[in-house]
Amino acid sequence: MTYSFKLPDIGEGVSEGEILKWMANVGDQIKEDQPLVEIMTDKVNVQIPAPRTGKVLQILAKEGEVAKVGQTIMIIDDGSGGAQPSAEIATLKPVQAAAPPQPQQGAPSQSILATPATRRLARELGVDISLVKGSGAQGRITDDDVKHFASGSPTGPPTVAVQAPRPAAHGPGPREELVPLRGVRKTISERMLKSLQTTAQVTHVDEADMTELVLLREAFKGSAEKRGVHLTFIPFIIKALVPALKEFPYVNSSLDEQSGNIVLKKYYNIGIATDTEQGLVVPVVRDVDRKDIFELAGEIETLADRARKAQLTLDEVRGGTFTITNVGAIGGLFATPIVNAPEVAILGLHKIAKRPVVRDGKVEIRDTTYFSLSFDHRVVDGAYAARFTSRVIETVQDTKKLLSEVL
Amino acid sequence: MIEADVAIVGGGPGGYVCGIRAAQLGLKTVVIEADRLGGECVNYGCIPSKSLITVSRLADKVKEAERYGLKASGVSVDFVQLQKWKGEVISRLVAGIELLLKGYHATILKGEAEVVSKDRVIVTTDQGREEISCKNLVLATGTRTSSLPGLEFDGDLVIGSKEGLDLKGAPKRLMVVGGGAIGLEFASMFQKLGSVITIVEIMEQLLPGSDLDLVRVVHRKLEAHGARIYLKSKVLRIDKKGSEATVEVETPDGKINIEVDKILVSVGRKPRTEKLNLSALGVETDPRGYITTDSRMHTSVPGVYAIGDVRGPPLLAHKASKEGIVAAEVIAGMSSAADWKVIPDAVFCDPEVASVGLTEAKAVEAGYKVKRSRFQFAALGRALAAGEPEGFVKVISKEEDGLVLGVQIVGPEASDLISEVALAIEMGATVEDIALTIHPHPTFPEAIMEAAESAAGRPIHQLKS
Repeated sequence: MTYSFKLPDIGEGVSEGEILKWMANVGDQIKEDQPLVEIMTDKVNVQIPAPRTGKVLQILAKEGEVAKVGQTIMIIDDGSGGAQPSAEIATLKPVQAAAPPQPQQGAPSQSILATPATRRLARELGVDISLVKGSGAQGRITDDDVKHFASGSPTGPPTVAVQAPRPAAHGPGPREELVPLRGVRKTISERMLKSLQTTAQVTHVDEADMTELVLLREAFKGSAEKRGVHLTFIPFIIKALVPALKEFPYVNSSLDEQSGNIVLKKYYNIGIATDTEQGLVVPVVRDVDRKDIFELAGEIETLADRARKAQLTLDEVRGGTFTITNVGAIGGLFATPIVNAPEVAILGLHKIAKRPVVRDGKVEIRDTTYFSLSFDHRVVDGAYAARFTSRVIETVQDTKKLLSEVL
Repeated sequence: MIEADVAIVGGGPGGYVCGIRAAQLGLKTVVIEADRLGGECVNYGCIPSKSLITVSRLADKVKEAERYGLKASGVSVDFVQLQKWKGEVISRLVAGIELLLKGYHATILKGEAEVVSKDRVIVTTDQGREEISCKNLVLATGTRTSSLPGLEFDGDLVIGSKEGLDLKGAPKRLMVVGGGAIGLEFASMFQKLGSVITIVEIMEQLLPGSDLDLVRVVHRKLEAHGARIYLKSKVLRIDKKGSEATVEVETPDGKINIEVDKILVSVGRKPRTEKLNLSALGVETDPRGYITTDSRMHTSVPGVYAIGDVRGPPLLAHKASKEGIVAAEVIAGMSSAADWKVIPDAVFCDPEVASVGLTEAKAVEAGYKVKRSRFQFAALGRALAAGEPEGFVKVISKEEDGLVLGVQIVGPEASDLISEVALAIEMGATVEDIALTIHPHPTFPEAIMEAAESAAGRPIHQLKS
């Protein structure tokens, strides 16, 4: 019997997702709960396990296509004679199991201008033709439009040519390559632009003396290793952030434009910008004020690992209240990170280096770094942000104070 | 026990086509038919009625033959021979269907099917009980005529369409209850065969739901030839006296009594699902009892499909056949779906009425800025030369870009003309596309081109409106 595998309801607010990768092909045998498909939502990549054991008959949503929640994306022959529709995805939220199909007696595609043969081609390529932009007169969809959409390009070749003028009218020349904007890349591009376009961002940079923290970290490294975790500077910085966020609540807030309120958050969920092969993702460490540095270190390690394997669940990337981005391992002085909206601020951490510093009138060599705080000026003013940053740096520099926080 | 990939319950235009396609695709296919292959359409509907209608039209033409200089005398209709010929047409088609199914190696089982579970069907054939174990089940049992309380079929005086096609002669006075497609075909046909026709229709127009402009042409022609048509009326009582009856009809102007020899009830159809065990299977139906499916013919139960009339209106053979193909292809793992834009329909009354896409009213309702253009057959050479000047073509298009939204035709060969427009709509053609396409002269389809030219703002054979 065939089983229609519908894109499950992944979580609040997520109504569609882009098929990033199928982990089984037509004809493959799949086992219930094995990772089957990777979906990119506007928030995260999610791996959805196979709802059934059986054979893949058909893939209806091709990689790169956007599928709506409830849309059938795969047909599985589950082999069983008397299979009953059951709860679909165990690890995700319960979804309607094989919801009774809506009677479609009329004309499902009345407004789509495409010939019957083109519509059939779209079905065969697993393309939802309603998403295809037609290149013909009055938006007529051609076979080529469908094929281009199926290959991952949301618009037909003429549009590409117009947007990026190049000698060759169709496609790139031998010295160029077209990479379809999709998946994580597409989400990043949309969200970064939106953040810059809808908030008033300013970056404040200050210098921090890390000498004592470097020693402190060395001191804790051994016991961390005993616990099986690798201790970086980030758990310490997080711990230094907590008292500052408590003292400067507007930094740990978001602006609800609709209701005209600033939402001050009394919980501290820190997003950790993580570099992965697919691009930047931001897993969230929850309730950092209630965790010690070892717990934080362990969690960050796990999340980063899951992020790199594209295994994060939606719950692991949402609900952040403040974000840290760390490019220290790569180098650089300081930066102007983009706020991870709807959060209000992001802290950039940079390379710790031995630099000459004037202390008590003498030049000394110390471990220093720069903290770059980008913030939304609609909510936070410059002085407030500067005071916040100073407060963080104070804690970082004062090992005694920090010790009371870290454990 | 027969093992099958697909068991199809019902061998009508949905089921047998599904069977052919499934077998073509290499699926082990069983088609189960309780009566005769071809179903209602071939045996008791579309085909036999067309045989009779053809003869009735010929007989009618001959009546006015003198006008055309054709001398014919002693013309009469031999119903025995007519019924024989009708039977031959049916037999030939049924044999053809059987040949096709067998030729593609589908198994035909003749007998009543009882669906035990979604993968088990028991068929009672002449040879005994046959059990089928199937991976997929296609329900294609169609519909049957429904009657009205007080108007129950008695097989003699009060009959349905099936009996109406088997009559041994034209009733002197025929009452048709229900002025829909079937009722009107019978009314036009028996009028031409000599019956005095009365039509009783409960709604305020014949062919309820159709464009009134078109219906008016048919209505007038029926009346002009002596039919009495009572709209917003219903039958209250039938007093049977031997081979005739007095029917009391409530009309908007009061109650009247009408003497008739035959009452043909065509008030609709209902799904034939009694033997399908739907509730035990868990197959969902709508409030009227039609099986609900998605556009790929899946019912609410995986592995169970429904096609044709049994999944609800419009009850049309051509829709059933296409759905049968979709179901077969879906079962074979193809990506087929019912994604047609339009389903044309045709009524073989006189003149014929055919329609595809949106009517003017529906297009306006859907929010389109509508352009309407018409062309009268009275201005078409072919129509005049055929002695068929009644009716017109009406083209409904989008004001801003000329996209064809719908076409309605009342007139000669309307049923054949409509296909061109169905293709135009599926292809996304504009009135310009139709206007710029050369139509051979002199033919009826020129009327469509002329109406399209008019919509494009440059009518040739009519004055600019």
